[in-house]
Amino acid sequence: MRNLGRNILLFAASAVFLVYVLAPVAWLVSSSVQQESEITSRPPQWIPRQPTLENFRAIFEAEEKQVTYETRRQGDPATGGFIPSTARDLVPAMWNSLIVAVAVVVLNLLVGVPAAYAMAKIRFIGRSSSIYFMLSTRVIPDIALVVPFFLFIHKLGLLDHLGSLIITYLAITIPFTVFILVSYFESLPDELDKAARVDGCSRLQTLLRVYVPLATPSLVAVVLFTFLTSWNEFLLALMFTQTPASQTMPIVVAAFTSDFTISFSFINAAGVIAVIPPVVLAVVFERYIVSGLTAGAVKG
Amino acid sequence: MARITLNSVGKRYPNGFAALEDLSLAIADKEFLVLLGPSGCGKSTTLNLIAGLEDVTAGSLYFDDVLMNVVPAHRRDVAMVFQSYALYPHKSVYENIAFGLRMRGHPRAEIESRVKDAARRLEIEPLLERRPHQLSGGQRQRVALGRALVRQPAAFLMDEPLSNLDAALRIAMRAEIKQLHHTMRTTFVYVTHDQAEALTLADRIVVMREGVIQQIGSPEEIYDRPRNTFVASFLGNPPINYLEGALAGDGAGMRFERGALRLALPPALAQPLRGQAGRPVRLGLRAEDVDERRAPRAGETLQGRVFSVMPVGSDQYLGLESEGTQLFFRVGRDVRHREGDNVALSVNTNRVQVFDPSSGASLLWQ
Amino acid sequence: MSARIGALPGAFRAAPVSRYDQAAAMWLLAPMLVVLLAVAVFPVLYSFWVSLFDLKLTRPHRVPFVWFENYATVFQDPLFWSSVWRTTWFTLMSVTAILVIALLIAILLNEEFPGRRFLSAMLLVPWAIPYVANGLMWKWIYDSGYGALNGLLLQLDFIDKYMFWLGDPDKTLALIANAFVWKEVPLAAILLLVGLKSIPADLYSAARVDGANLWRRFVHITLPGLRPAFMLVMIYETMMAIRHFDLFFILTEGGPAEASHVLAWQVYVETFRKLSFGTGSALAYIMALVTFLLAFWLIRMLGRKL
Repeated sequence: MRNLGRNILLFAASAVFLVYVLAPVAWLVSSSVQQESEITSRPPQWIPRQPTLENFRAIFEAEEKQVTYETRRQGDPATGGFIPSTARDLVPAMWNSLIVAVAVVVLNLLVGVPAAYAMAKIRFIGRSSSIYFMLSTRVIPDIALVVPFFLFIHKLGLLDHLGSLIITYLAITIPFTVFILVSYFESLPDELDKAARVDGCSRLQTLLRVYVPLATPSLVAVVLFTFLTSWNEFLLALMFTQTPASQTMPIVVAAFTSDFTISFSFINAAGVIAVIPPVVLAVVFERYIVSGLTAGAVKG
Repeated sequence: MARITLNSVGKRYPNGFAALEDLSLAIADKEFLVLLGPSGCGKSTTLNLIAGLEDVTAGSLYFDDVLMNVVPAHRRDVAMVFQSYALYPHKSVYENIAFGLRMRGHPRAEIESRVKDAARRLEIEPLLERRPHQLSGGQRQRVALGRALVRQPAAFLMDEPLSNLDAALRIAMRAEIKQLHHTMRTTFVYVTHDQAEALTLADRIVVMREGVIQQIGSPEEIYDRPRNTFVASFLGNPPINYLEGALAGDGAGMRFERGALRLALPPALAQPLRGQAGRPVRLGLRAEDVDERRAPRAGETLQGRVFSVMPVGSDQYLGLESEGTQLFFRVGRDVRHREGDNVALSVNTNRVQVFDPSSGASLLWQ
Repeated sequence: MSARIGALPGAFRAAPVSRYDQAAAMWLLAPMLVVLLAVAVFPVLYSFWVSLFDLKLTRPHRVPFVWFENYATVFQDPLFWSSVWRTTWFTLMSVTAILVIALLIAILLNEEFPGRRFLSAMLLVPWAIPYVANGLMWKWIYDSGYGALNGLLLQLDFIDKYMFWLGDPDKTLALIANAFVWKEVPLAAILLLVGLKSIPADLYSAARVDGANLWRRFVHITLPGLRPAFMLVMIYETMMAIRHFDLFFILTEGGPAEASHVLAWQVYVETFRKLSFGTGSALAYIMALVTFLLAFWLIRMLGRKL
């Protein structure tokens, strides 16, 4: 009977936290499919009676329909009628975000994995200094990077270029990547290293043939973290992108929120679209996040 | 096929700790050399230096007169078996064994035949497609051996490979390793802290303590003619008994005295001790060097009171209190004594050891 | 046993670390060092350099060298000090809330019960969504015209008419903190959960045998065992809160009337609205320095207790 009481308590607590975590997002989704009449009701319509996917259609079709001052009232009256001219920027912006994120992930792996292996498994002069150095670079707030980067990139003429984002994102992702990888590598047995070297592997070969295959959970975690950090990053993207050519998704979405002529459901729809890719990734790879953060135990 | 030579080798870590200091050792081609000692004595460090897993910080290391100090591990022709086997968890048994050959660029057909051959020899052929985590400890051990075997290296290095096995398996594997050495006809360098293992397997034993070699010799030499108390204590089970006392007499009448105890030293032993009557010494008496069945004679008798009787299967360990100290002897199962009995044991005085009490150095063998 | 053997020479001077290993390590480490030096170290140094100039993009041709005048300007600006105060308040509020809520969730997730996996997967949703979307979402919830907060409170009779939440200077920081906390709690909870799981089960068994009840076990085993993870989360979230920018941009743009004008916002305004790069740099540099020292101090002070 104590078990029943315990389970009830646990379920109740879970319910509370589940509501805490999901309710705002549920409201976001609900709002995104509401028609204008419902969304402007007081009190709000918690569950829409007449949901519409009009907003989503508008976003994806916005590229084809050239929206001008005259035509911006073309939107479905059900959703308020106003489609911002910047609507068509959302999908391309997501592409930009994707390109940047993938590039940053790849570079993180190329740079971070060898460095992490060296710091975890090789005893060399300067090892602890390297570790402190790497950790201390993460303490610097992004704000402090903004001005120097801006001036520098401006000078190089890269201001509206995705490359500028890729480079600056490396500064905020690499330390964390290396940190995760180092602690995971350290948890893998040292003797595998010795066996591989006696078997004829150079350090690099040991890394590639023995340790990388064994580090899959933490590699997945690293890819996930780096991708999300990149995808979600706002401040630096705000600084360095000026036209839709290079704007990433957060910038475009932010522009929507400050535009008072847009219907609320449209903004929420944009929010939903922005949210889906990272959430799907996170939920799908959930178990790697925890195991990648902790040092895993490897048998064998 | 290699001779391995260490000349004044030292290993000092960046934090200042010196694991080895001025160590010189010549390992002959094809011999089975055992590095024996307690943990921390530097035996594994020595093995790592030979393998190239760590670098020599002083002195020189040679394989067949070729200086190896700066040659990294992956370019040395040695194979190693680790205490925890260190099998690659993500590779099959076949892949584990083949890995070393693959890294050295041998053709696929050759690799396959060599791997199958080694697997057959170690009786692990049916396991070739399995992963390490599906194997028992003994099977993993064989795979680790197979991985080393298949390389046909100049030298085999083994770092306490049997420590993780249970007792019965350990004895069986010892025999197999000895057999392997016989068939492979290659240099074996074997590290262990188990003195029984060393005595069984070695052509020569190197006893080490805190980075310094105590003695090098055949198992018989080390056991019968230890150079100091450390070596004498380390080998033998139960450990050697010590009695502090003094030398007395001279020539044919030379003897060891402690309280009422008088042990006559045979001429062969008395020879190096000539003219040292009165010198305080430490007598070493191994647990098996008493004979219960022989009638005790003067100058060969040890008297005492039994304080413990521990049967251990085929023998008994008898705890004897004599002349103020506690001694342990191994006697036959049929010997019947009880606690509190006073006994007189006949001592095999040909096999006693005599040491200097302060330095521990043997006065008989140097 | 130290005789020289044969005719082979004995002396050989070598480094305490393998030559090969040292070289291999350097090669493996080089890309990271180069990248970090270029994108993390260099900008910080450069920003210090810039802060010594009176660089205003409004008049880019005249850039006098002014030593530490920019810093003086910053320190004499009352807005700077009020920003510091607001940032501190925001940080304290947020970090406390995060730690409390995350601890509760972590304790819950440490128990085995059906549906636990579902909860922990759902927990990742706030963490995964971008801050922009987070801001958008809460802005809509807080909306004065049609927002959910208003609606809910009205339906529950806590208020009698819709309120302009984000326009109330007393409530702004708290509202933003709420959004911030909501998004940061998952990661904190996971880190604390990892810490909880690392406490050996044997300790609990021994305590039970010793007669300790649930509360006692919590106080004497769980809390001490959780200390390293707790410290980590506290330090990390403090760093995150101090430098946070995104929500302030989306929700209030520093308003109303500077109610949410925090340090990060100050840097943005100074640099990109007033286009005064000199003072902006100085400000950013001060922030960086303070953050760095704070991290250092926190680690030292809390680390010593480990």
